[in-house]
Amino acid sequence: MTSSLSTDLVLILPEIILAAGAMALLVLGAFRGEGSAGLVRFGAFGLLIAVLILTACAGTGEKVLGFNDMLVVDGFGSFMKVLVLIGALVAIPMSVDFFRRAATDRFEYPVLILLATVGMMLMISANDLITLYVGLELQSLALYVLAAFLRDDVRSTEAGLKYFVLGALSSGMLLYGCSLIYGFSGTTNFTDLAAGIASLEGQGAGIGLVVGIVFLVAGLAFKVSAVPFHMWTPDVYEGSPTPVTAFFAAAPKVAAMALFLRALTVPFGEIAAQWQQIIIFVSIASMLLGAFAAIGQTNMKRLLAYSSIGHVGYALVGLAAGGEEGIRGVLVYMAIYLVMTLGTFGVLLVMRKDGKAVETIQDFAGLGRSHPWLAFVMAAFMFSLAGIPPLAGFFAKFYVFISAIEQGLYVLSVIGMLASVVSAFYYLRVVKIMYFDAPEGAPLELPFPLASRVVVGVTGFLTVLYFVVPAPLVTAAGAAAKTLLP
Amino acid sequence: MIAAIVFLPLLGAVIAGFFGRLLGDRGAQIVTSSLLVVSAVLSWITFFGVTGHEGGAYKIHLMTWVLSGALEVDWALRVDTLTAVMLVVVTSVSSLVHIYSAGYMSEDPHIPRFQAYLSLFTFAMLMLVTADNFLQVFFGWEGVGLASYLLIGFWYKKPSANAAAIKAFVVNRVGDFGFALGIFAIFLVFGSLSFDSVFGAAGEQAGKSFEFLGYDVDILTTICLLLFVGCMGKSAQLGLHTWLPDAMEGPTPVSALIHAATMVTAGVFLVARCSPLFEYAPVALEVVTVIGASTAFFAATVGLVQNDIKRVIAYSTCSQLGYMFFAAGVGAYEAAIFHLFTHAFFKALLFLGAGSVIHAMHHEQDMRNMGGTWKYIKFTYAMMWIGNLALAGVPFFAGFYSKDMIIEVAYSAHSGVGNYAFTLGVLAAALTAFYSWRLLFMTFHGEKRWAGHGHDDHHAHGHDDHGHDHGHGHTPHESPLVMTIPLALLAVGAIFSGFFFYDSFVGEHREAFWGGAIFVGAANEVIEHAHHVPGWVKLAPLVATVLGIAIAFWFYILKPRLPVALAKTHKELYAFLLNKWYFDELYNLIFIRGAFLIGRLFWKGGDGRIIDGFGPNGISARVLDVARRAVKLQSGYLYHYAFVMLIGVAALVSWYIYRMGVTP
Amino acid sequence: MEIGLGHYLTVAAILFVIGVFGIFLNRKNVIIILMSVELILLAVNINLVAFSSFLGDLAGQVFALLILTVAAGEAAIGLAILVIYIRNRGTIAVEDINLMKG
Repeated sequence: MTSSLSTDLVLILPEIILAAGAMALLVLGAFRGEGSAGLVRFGAFGLLIAVLILTACAGTGEKVLGFNDMLVVDGFGSFMKVLVLIGALVAIPMSVDFFRRAATDRFEYPVLILLATVGMMLMISANDLITLYVGLELQSLALYVLAAFLRDDVRSTEAGLKYFVLGALSSGMLLYGCSLIYGFSGTTNFTDLAAGIASLEGQGAGIGLVVGIVFLVAGLAFKVSAVPFHMWTPDVYEGSPTPVTAFFAAAPKVAAMALFLRALTVPFGEIAAQWQQIIIFVSIASMLLGAFAAIGQTNMKRLLAYSSIGHVGYALVGLAAGGEEGIRGVLVYMAIYLVMTLGTFGVLLVMRKDGKAVETIQDFAGLGRSHPWLAFVMAAFMFSLAGIPPLAGFFAKFYVFISAIEQGLYVLSVIGMLASVVSAFYYLRVVKIMYFDAPEGAPLELPFPLASRVVVGVTGFLTVLYFVVPAPLVTAAGAAAKTLLP
Repeated sequence: MIAAIVFLPLLGAVIAGFFGRLLGDRGAQIVTSSLLVVSAVLSWITFFGVTGHEGGAYKIHLMTWVLSGALEVDWALRVDTLTAVMLVVVTSVSSLVHIYSAGYMSEDPHIPRFQAYLSLFTFAMLMLVTADNFLQVFFGWEGVGLASYLLIGFWYKKPSANAAAIKAFVVNRVGDFGFALGIFAIFLVFGSLSFDSVFGAAGEQAGKSFEFLGYDVDILTTICLLLFVGCMGKSAQLGLHTWLPDAMEGPTPVSALIHAATMVTAGVFLVARCSPLFEYAPVALEVVTVIGASTAFFAATVGLVQNDIKRVIAYSTCSQLGYMFFAAGVGAYEAAIFHLFTHAFFKALLFLGAGSVIHAMHHEQDMRNMGGTWKYIKFTYAMMWIGNLALAGVPFFAGFYSKDMIIEVAYSAHSGVGNYAFTLGVLAAALTAFYSWRLLFMTFHGEKRWAGHGHDDHHAHGHDDHGHDHGHGHTPHESPLVMTIPLALLAVGAIFSGFFFYDSFVGEHREAFWGGAIFVGAANEVIEHAHHVPGWVKLAPLVATVLGIAIAFWFYILKPRLPVALAKTHKELYAFLLNKWYFDELYNLIFIRGAFLIGRLFWKGGDGRIIDGFGPNGISARVLDVARRAVKLQSGYLYHYAFVMLIGVAALVSWYIYRMGVTP
Repeated sequence: MEIGLGHYLTVAAILFVIGVFGIFLNRKNVIIILMSVELILLAVNINLVAFSSFLGDLAGQVFALLILTVAAGEAAIGLAILVIYIRNRGTIAVEDINLMKG
C-alpha cells in the first residue's frame, strides 16, 4: 500500500470533477430556480467535454490501482469511459427540444445525467465488490428518477416505478451474490479473489462460491438487460421520455457491459469454464428473444428495446468466447452499437407528428418520399443494426462471431447468425414502411432541432463509412482488451 | 504530394456535391476544375521526379485498413513509373474535361452534380492507379464503375440513358466477379494481397498446379485468367464489350474522360501492373493476345458502318484497347502502356472534338444529318484532322510511334498467336484509317444535310436532347473558348507525345525509365527484337493506313453514291456489321431470354411451390407464432417480471448444483 | 446448542426468500414490494455481518453499513416515484400498473 491519498485522488480526478460539478450545478439550479435550466445544461455539457478530454488523454493505458486496490484505472476502463461519456454528452443537447415542447425543461435533467455518469465511471473502474455496488447504485438511483422524469405523464411514471421495483430486486440479488462470494472466499477485492481462486489449482470453485457468482451474474445481466432478466426493458424504454430512452440504450448499457466483463474476467478468469455456460445460455436466449419478440411491435421505442436485448446477446457472444479476441470483439461491438443507437434515436427525435413525438413505426410511412436524406440515414441505421455489410453493424457482429468460431463455439455462432437473419425481418420492415407505405393522418413535421441533426449526421456518417477505416477502432479496442487480461 | 494529387479531386467532389447549391453552377465548375488543374500540375512534377532514374519509386502508408487474421490490408499509395504515367494521363485529361464541360454542359440544370461526379470518378481512378494492394485496386475499380454508372445515367430522365447505365453496370459485374475471384485466389495462394509480397513470391508459384474436377490446373494461369476477365469487362474486350457503345448515351465529356482515356484503360493498366504474375503464365498471355487481337479487328469492322459520330469513336476505342491488350499479351507491356498514353490524348481529342461538333450542330449526333460543316467550324475541323492523323498512325503523329511499335512486337514475338495478332493488327489499321476518314468526310465534307432538316427521330440513337429548345436549321457555330482551349492542348499531346516519349517508353532508355515498375521475364526480349524487324513489317501498317484513307476518299468524296450501292449489293454483310455481329441479339437470345425462362421456371415451380411452401412462408408463419408467444410473456405485470427473473436465477443455480453433484 | 455460521445463513436465506415471495405473490400494494426489498437487503446484511464475524474480517461489516446507507436513499427515491405515480393514476395496486405490455 504505497499509494498516498494524493495519488489516489489524482487517479479519480475525472470522477471527482464530475461529482463536484454536479453538486455545484444542483445548488446553482436550486438557488436560481426554474429559469436556470439552460445555464445548468450548458455547465453540464462543458463539464462532460472537459472530463471526456481528460479521460481520453490522461491514461497511459497502464494498469494503476488505488484506494487500497478498490479502484483500478487502465486502458480498458478509459476506452469504456470514453464511450460512456460520449453517450452522456449526446444525451444532454438531444433532449432540449423534446423537453421544451413537453414543458418540462428542468435543470435536474443534466444534473441527473452527470450523477449517473459518475456512477457509471465508478462501475467501470471498480476493482472490489463494494465499489461495484456503490457505483451501480449511484447510477441506478439517477436512472430511476430519469425514467419518471415526465412526472405528469402516467406512462413515464409507470416506467420509473417498474424500473425501480425490478432494479431494487436485481440489486438485492446482486448483493446476495456478493455476500456469498465474500463469505466463501474471504475477500471482496477482485485482485485478491483472483489470487485466491488461482490457489485452488484447477479444483474448481466450491458450491457456495458458484451460487454467489450466479447471483452476481443475475444482477449484472439485469443491468445489461439480458434474457431472462430483461423484462423491464421494453416497458421502461416505451414509457420513458424519448431522450432518456436514448440515454438508457446507450451509456448505461456500455457501462454495465464493462462491469460485466471486468467482474467475470478479472476475479473469476481462472474458472472461466464454470461461468461460460451461463453466459452462453444468456447470450442465446437474448439473441433469440431479441429477434422474435420485436417482430410484432408497432411502437418504435419498444422495437428498439427488443433490438437492444438482441444486441446485448451478440455482444455477450464475445464474452463467452473470452480471451483477448473475444473481449476486443465486445468492445468493438459496444462502440458501434453506441453509434447506431444514438443515431436511430436521433432520427426519432428529429421528427414530430400531430404535435407529438413520433412513436409508432407507421409514423415513418412516406418518409422516403418526403425526406429522402433522413430516410436514407434511417435505412442505413436499420441495415447496420441488422448487420448487413458493408455497414458498421456488420463488422461489429463479424468480430464477435469470429472470436466465437475460433474458440470452437459453433452452436452459439450458428444460432447467433440465424437470430440475426430473423431480426433482419423487422429492421427491413421499418425500411419498407418508410419507402413503400402511404402516409396516414397529419404530415410529418420536422422541427429539425440542430443538436439531433448533428447527432444524426455524424452517427450516420460513421455508420455508413466505417468500413473505409475500421482499423483505428479495432486497434484501440485490442489494446484496451489487452490491459483487462492479466 | 501524392496524397494531394489523389485527394484534391475527392475534395472537389465533396464540395461540389454537398455545397453545389451554395456555390452555384459557375462556382462548382471553378472549384472542381481548379483543384483538378492543381492535381494535374503536381502529377507532371511527380512524373518527372519518379521516372528516368533509379530509386524514384516510393510508397506512402496512409493507414491500416483491414486487420483480420492473416488478412492485413493497408491504405497506401504506391508511386512508380507505371503509376506516374497513369497519374499524368488521368489528371491531365480529367482537368481538361472538367474545363471543357463548363462550355459543353452550359445549358444543363444540374451542373454541380455533374462536376461532382466527374471529380469523384477522378478520385476513384487515381485510387486505382496508386493502389498498393489488390483490395485497394478493387476499391478503385468499383469506384470508377459506380461513377461511370452515375455519369452514363446522368440524364436520368432519358430511358435509353438509364438502360445504358444499367447495362454497363451489369456487364461490368460479370467482369468484376472474375476479378473478385482472382483476388480471392491470390489471397489463398500467397496469403497476402499487397503487391510487393505477391509479386515477390510469384516466381515460386510458377508451374505449380492444383486439382480441379480431376484436372491439373496451373495456379498462376488460373489467377491471371480470372484477373483478365475483370479487365475484359472494364476495358470492353470481345464478349464483354457490349456496354461501351451504349455508354455513349452519357454526356460527351464523360465519354472522353471515362470511355476513352481513363477507365476503360484500367484493364490494360492492371495487366501491366500484374506483369510479374502474367510473365509466369504463358497460357494466360496467349489468351490475352488472341482476345485483344480479335477485339481490335472486330471493333474496327463494326466501326465502318456506324452512323452515330460517338459510336464510331467508341468502337475505335474498343479496337485500340484490343491493340494494347495484344501488345501486353506478347510481353511488350511497355508498348501497351505507351499506346495507352498516346491514345489517351488523341482519343480524348477526338471525343471532345466530336462533342464540339455535336455542340455546334445543336446536339445532333447522326453523321447522316451533318456534312459540309467545315467552313463553319474550322477550328474543330482542324482538331479532328489532328486526332485522326494520330489515331491512324500517320508518321510523326503520336499514334504512329505507339501503334507501329505494337504491330512490330506482335510480329517479332514469332509465335502462332503473335502472327495472328500481327495479321489482324495490320488489317485493323487499314479499317481504322477508313472509318476515321469516313467520319471526317461525312461530318465535314459533302453536301449539307442539315439545313432545314426536320429534327425528327428517324435515327435510332438518342441525341443529347435535354429540354432545350433551339430552333433547328441554325447554322453551326464554333464552340466557346473554354471548349476550344482544351482541344488545342490535347492536340499538342496528340502530335508530340509519341515523338517525345518514344525513347523513354519503348526505346533505348526504357529500362532506366521504367525502373522495375514492369517486370519482364529473362527470356522476354520482344521489344529488343521489335527494333530489328524486316523493313516490310515496318512499312505494312503505313501502307494499310494510306490504303484505308484512299478508299475512304474514293467512297465519300469522289463517289458518294458508292457506299449506299455497296451496302445494297452486300446486304447481309452490311446488316451483319451494322448490327455489331449480332452480339446483343445473341446475348439477348442466350442469356436474357434463357434467364427469364429459368427464372420463370424456378419462380413458379421451384420457389412458389416447393421453397415458399416449406421455406419462407412456412418459416415466417412459425416465426410469427414464436413472436406472438414471446410477446405474451411480456404481460406488463410487475410480479410476472419478477417471477421470470427468479425462475432464471433458480434454474441456473439448480443446474450448477446438479452438475456439481454429478462431477464434484 | 452452539449457534454457528450455518444458522445465520439459514435465517438470512429464509428472509431472502420471504422477501422474494413478497414481491411476486403480492398483488395488492406497491408499498409491500418496497418492504420486501428491505427484507432482501436485511438478509444480505445478516449474511455479510455473519461472514465478517466468522472470518474475522471487517470488510463485510463495512459493506453492510454502506448497504444500509444506500438502501435509505433507495427507499426515499422509491417512495418519491410512488407518490408521483399515485398522483397520476390514483391507485398503487400492483395489478393496475399495467399500461404498457406486449
